[in-house]
Amino acid sequence: MNDFRVLNTRAPRVDAAAKATGQAKYADDFKMPGMLYAAILQSPVAHARILHIDTSKAKKLAGVENVVTSKEAGLIRYGVSPARYDETIFAHDKVRYVGDEIAAVAATSMEIAQEALSLIKVDYEEIPAVFDMFEATKDGAPQIHDEFPGNINAEVHQEFGDTEAALKSCDLVVDHTFLNKRQDAAFIEPHSCVAVFDHAGKLTLYTSTQVPHYVMRTVAMTLQIPVGNVRVIKPYVGGGFGPKCEATPLEMSCGLLSKITGKPVKMTYSREQVFLHSRARHQFYAEMSLGVMNDGTMVALKNKAVLDGGAYTSFGIATVYYSGSLLGGPYKLKAMKYDGHRAYTNKPACGAQRGHGGVAHRACFEQLIDMTAEKIGMDPVEMRLKNIMTAGDMTVNELDMSSLGMKECIEAIREGSDWNNKKGKLPKGKGIGMACGFFVSGAGYPIYRSDTYHSTVVIKMSEDGGVANLLTGSAEIGQGSDTAMAMIAAETLGIPLENVRVYSGDTDYSVDLGAYSSRQTLMTGHATKEAAEDLRDKIAGFLAEEMNVEKSGITFVDGIVKFDDAPGNFEKIRTSYIKEHRGWTDQPSGEFLTFREAARLAFLKGGTLVGTGKYKPHRLGGSYKGAAVGTSPAYGCSAQIVEVSVDLETGQITVDKMTDAHDCGLAINKMSVEGQMQGSLSMGLGECLFEEVKFDSRGRVLNPSLGEYKIPTALDMPNVRSIIVESNEPNGPYGAKEVGEGAIMPTIPAILNAIYDATGVRINELPVTSEKLFMALVEKNRIV
Amino acid sequence: MLLPNFEYIEPTTLEEALRLLSDMGGNARVIAGGTDLLVRMKLKIEKPSQLISLRKVPGLNQVIKRETHGVSIGPAVTAADLARNEFIRDKFAPLATAAGKLGAPVIRNRATIGGNLVNGRPAADFPPACMVFDAILKLKSATNEREILVGEFFRGPGETIIEPNELLVGIFMETPAPWTGGSYIKLGARKALEISMVNVAVMLTLQEPLGPIVDVKIALGAVAPTPVRAFAAEQYLMGRHPSEKVFSEAGAIGVGMCHPITDHRGTMEYRCLMIETLTSRALNLAYQNALAWKP
Ligand SMILES: Cc1cc2nc3c(=O)[nH]c(=O)nc-3n(C[C@H](O)[C@H](O)[C@H](O)COP(=O)(O)OP(=O)(O)OC[C@H]3O[C@@H](n4cnc5c(N)ncnc54)[C@H](O)[C@@H]3O)c2cc1C
Repeated sequence: MNDFRVLNTRAPRVDAAAKATGQAKYADDFKMPGMLYAAILQSPVAHARILHIDTSKAKKLAGVENVVTSKEAGLIRYGVSPARYDETIFAHDKVRYVGDEIAAVAATSMEIAQEALSLIKVDYEEIPAVFDMFEATKDGAPQIHDEFPGNINAEVHQEFGDTEAALKSCDLVVDHTFLNKRQDAAFIEPHSCVAVFDHAGKLTLYTSTQVPHYVMRTVAMTLQIPVGNVRVIKPYVGGGFGPKCEATPLEMSCGLLSKITGKPVKMTYSREQVFLHSRARHQFYAEMSLGVMNDGTMVALKNKAVLDGGAYTSFGIATVYYSGSLLGGPYKLKAMKYDGHRAYTNKPACGAQRGHGGVAHRACFEQLIDMTAEKIGMDPVEMRLKNIMTAGDMTVNELDMSSLGMKECIEAIREGSDWNNKKGKLPKGKGIGMACGFFVSGAGYPIYRSDTYHSTVVIKMSEDGGVANLLTGSAEIGQGSDTAMAMIAAETLGIPLENVRVYSGDTDYSVDLGAYSSRQTLMTGHATKEAAEDLRDKIAGFLAEEMNVEKSGITFVDGIVKFDDAPGNFEKIRTSYIKEHRGWTDQPSGEFLTFREAARLAFLKGGTLVGTGKYKPHRLGGSYKGAAVGTSPAYGCSAQIVEVSVDLETGQITVDKMTDAHDCGLAINKMSVEGQMQGSLSMGLGECLFEEVKFDSRGRVLNPSLGEYKIPTALDMPNVRSIIVESNEPNGPYGAKEVGEGAIMPTIPAILNAIYDATGVRINELPVTSEKLFMALVEKNRIV
Repeated sequence: MLLPNFEYIEPTTLEEALRLLSDMGGNARVIAGGTDLLVRMKLKIEKPSQLISLRKVPGLNQVIKRETHGVSIGPAVTAADLARNEFIRDKFAPLATAAGKLGAPVIRNRATIGGNLVNGRPAADFPPACMVFDAILKLKSATNEREILVGEFFRGPGETIIEPNELLVGIFMETPAPWTGGSYIKLGARKALEISMVNVAVMLTLQEPLGPIVDVKIALGAVAPTPVRAFAAEQYLMGRHPSEKVFSEAGAIGVGMCHPITDHRGTMEYRCLMIETLTSRALNLAYQNALAWKP
């Protein structure tokens, strides 16, 4: 099919051995001489004025080196988007949720740090709190931030076309509402960080993050350290999924305590603190109307959203935009209207999580399509195919589908699941359902307004010519980006994968915005490709000069060099290489010049060889307010079919089989693509059937552990048939685009559509517990 | 989360263990697998000053087929061992099934039957399975020894009749009569790592393959402050010929014995409905197994 040598294969990950053997070091594994242990005091109450903080007793405890509060930390406001900086490192006037940070302690042991926390005395004056997103915006509700009356954190109103008129012209309009629950990302590695402030005034943070670059900026800003003096190093990371996309109180307090004490300071969150810090999936309420013609043509969509944001903004502004903008495709619409708002409540702040902002509204929309299909007597697959966009289409809100294998995905799962022989033909209690979705391959714009490159990459050849060292600030967080970058570099340089070594996740290596919005394969990939091309070009230049040949005739493939496809007259180069390495056992041989010899020659002529690459997207999107959110150089898309069995006597659901197709452009590493697809399905299945962060009446998390917060176990996951669909994305490196988030979009509605098929019951609130489904069945039988 | 400080002691004889327990009074705790105790200690619900390990006390981790009729199970036998023990699987199937459904493999490798019983949680997996065999629990202190029927062991959520200076040293069960079958059903959200919303164990004996029911025991968990026997349902079934109808009737009667609560795992209403459904299901299953009985 193609003549790639490294790309498009099933490559073992470059970090596999380190992880499998336990050699991989995570932030909490770091130990340094004189290192202190820090802990954060978090509010036990949901909403209160802070009258007084007394740290004197804690400071006196033997082993305590320092205690900081807002007095020491200052009141510089920060957040994710500069448009809504609403946090300070420590609460000073008020606490706004159970878990709000008040003080931090550094001590010689973790035990002492914990004990010191219990000695800090805080006088609170409790004030009424509000926990429900609908109550929060009612008149008379307790005010959480003075600057945001009515607890409206952000609101969005967008309309494309004349939606009311379009709906009036339709043969049929169907409505649906949907409510998901606050989710936790449940990554395996809790947040952890070691801060080292050295004598030169430089702060180094080793931290479990998805975004070293943004952490560097935020920490520099809040701790008032010149940004050039802040270095963020991301060691191995045990998952992020979104909540690790922003600077944390943990990083800022460790940095501050290290700056004050002059010693390394470490802190690791407990699992409970991960739940309290949250920044994970919001709770969304969706209300929609879809207008269609009798032949199944979709015409107009009206969409309303309410988001429970918790006490601070985090990514929330982007989130509330995404819930609207990500419904523009993959179906053709004439008109679309969106009204959404995000409410502040006295709970931990919600942020970005896999499928940012899109998942719940996609779930509502894709159910609505099935409901509509049923009413007009059309097969749900046919209905989708009838309205599908193809490459080159522009959504009603001006998102450019530069490649889109949506149709191919739908056809692949229809075939792969044997849909035609199953839909409508399964026995009672068994059901089949489908859904589609799409997602960005990297946000079109950085989080802060800037013309910055989104990614730069440096590739530096070893002087012996044997290893290409790839330096990038991008974040390998378990998704396989280091392997993908190594593959892109190897392919471009024409050398085997094992000759590329990746150094990543360090702000001193290069600029990279990090692992969020499924951006690295496309964006870091572009910069990597350009850097490798630059390097290749330099080597070719020196070779051409030495051998007196045309540079354009030189090619590199599989670690050897060809001159107009022939070996060329390289005798002299080889002889001198062999002389340089007398006594070595790995002398080059064979009929072609090796890449190693060529790169060595280049070094001898030009000194250390460096190739650099950079990437930023071209100008994207429309000119309306908020047009930037949802833009991307490319969109991945996917379709899924789910088969379920429902125990009609208990309501228990078993997901029997999932068939999933995803268009990722070119699959750089097929194994990683399948890994992302299956991981997405498992996360979607969990949100659909089990997961919910629960609170008591005073705003305390009831289930802050992985025992009581239920993510799917291996036994809950069915076999998945993963089908990779490859379109050639013009804006992607080698035609590649995202898979990390788009793959989760169809999962929830596909399961819900299958449950409906099995039972005739539509559940519009997650999670679909056995109880919820059983009670709905009882209710239905009562009515029938 | 950090464990509070404690002293860890590994006695090497039963006598030593019992003496330590009585010397240390209420401040010491026995530790078997630690899957309950260490969690509670990390949450600071318990702060014992000494932990007395059963690890090196000989004889507590064995399943012994008795020469007379029955089996003796050491309190430190793990769920993993019980789930794969051939004799238990054959003659005490509900116990083996319950063991195989407890937690997940890593938990089952540590979790013990003794710890599960003494912990006294209403939703635990082992109590109903032990109750349908009328297991006898042997409790020993430095100065005393007593035997107690498992049905009389539980007092309330997390409460049993065991005294702080007593050790559970053995669990005894009679091998059921010919033509007996058993079953165990656990209802939870996930397929593993679940605390039951409702669980049911059944043991059912037929007079002969097509004969009436001559013995039946039904025990339920997570439906009341302690695991309970559904005596009224048992009584109703005695002497009757098995059928779907009588089993579902028994299920309906079983609900009467229960006082489930509403909590974040499920509501009272749903639990009651499930008691009925699962009891009759468990009876059906036990009946099928009784028909397949082999000596
Ligand atoms: C992730 C997880 C999942 C779980 N899933 C389940 C589940 O599905 N079903 C279920 O029922 N339980 C479950 N549990 C709870 C626990 O694993 C079981 O109750 C287990 O059987 C306890 O045994 P243990 O040996 O670990 O007890 P330990 O924690 O060692 O002891 C528990 C209590 O019993 C006392 N004790 C122990 N042995 C004796 C003895 N011989 N004499 C006197 N006192 C004694 C201890 O002092 C302590 O108070 C789970 C626990 C975890 C952490």
